[in-house]
Amino acid sequence: MNRFQAGRTLIATIASAGFLSMTGCSSFLQQGSGAVAGVGGAAIASGLTSDAAVATGIGVGMQSLAQAGVQRWQRAVHTAEQDQIAAIAGALAPGQVAPWNVSHQVPIEPASRGEVTVSRVVGGKALDCREIVFSVDRPPKAESAQAFYVAMICRDGARWKWASAEPATERWGSLQ
Amino acid sequence: MLAAAMLAGCSTVGGLAGTVAGITTGSFTSNPAIGIAVSVSVKALTDAQVKKLLRSLQQDEQDEIAALAGAMAPGEIRQWQVRHVIPYGNNQGDLQVTRVIDTPLASCREVMFTVVDRKAGAPSGDVPRAWFAANVCRQDRGWKWAIAEPAVERWGSLH
Repeated sequence: MNRFQAGRTLIATIASAGFLSMTGCSSFLQQGSGAVAGVGGAAIASGLTSDAAVATGIGVGMQSLAQAGVQRWQRAVHTAEQDQIAAIAGALAPGQVAPWNVSHQVPIEPASRGEVTVSRVVGGKALDCREIVFSVDRPPKAESAQAFYVAMICRDGARWKWASAEPATERWGSLQ
Repeated sequence: MLAAAMLAGCSTVGGLAGTVAGITTGSFTSNPAIGIAVSVSVKALTDAQVKKLLRSLQQDEQDEIAALAGAMAPGEIRQWQVRHVIPYGNNQGDLQVTRVIDTPLASCREVMFTVVDRKAGAPSGDVPRAWFAANVCRQDRGWKWAIAEPAVERWGSLH
């Protein structure tokens, strides 16, 4: 009984940590959700089987599934944001400034807004691209009111898509 | 011990801590579920902490390069270096501003920089140097790194 209670307390602690992370650090959200699912999976499995290896397998499997789920969410959120900024910037002439605004159905990342402008037109054979500078408004208590970023967008048929490539692998650092 | 493990490969620290915690718990309880629970939680917490630390080191380096680039004129070449409180990831190299990006929204710059590992030890002329490009923009509190995230289609194994 004591063991069972200890397990439940632990799960509750991790679950509340996971909830707190909804407001901020996505890396902790990923790790935390995986941990909660892994612990839950192992607890359920140990009720079904007395084989520790099988219980471990199920626990670790659930952990991976949960992490993959959070990653898929994050990709969806960023795709929506990139598509919207690109679509708005695609309609601008160099020097023009327009607002952008994205709200997400799942509060995995806070709704974001800002402004975007085109800093350079990059063209070539069958190539229609633009360098954009966009701002992201920060919450009132943040260090700076706005953060600025530079990105590339290219036209793919009728729609504009984000075109910035990944950093060189030597510069990945703690990205992974 | 933690520092030694970090130098060997930071991403393994979480797994090691989780394993140790799992084994330790296993000697107290015969219930495998609790052993796994502790192991998985400790691994997750340690992974998150290590990531946070590595990000802060990387941010120091970015802030250093951005601040220096903000003070430079286009075409000028200067040396940059970053020294952390813990002796890990102390890098240096050359830096130059290649373009000024002035927009109605923000003032930005395109910079090129090299990264030289201090441990290489050879005279600077002999070390092969790779150049990297970046963008920095001026915010309320000085110049900051401004490269946006890659297109989601190019995240690949980054995530």
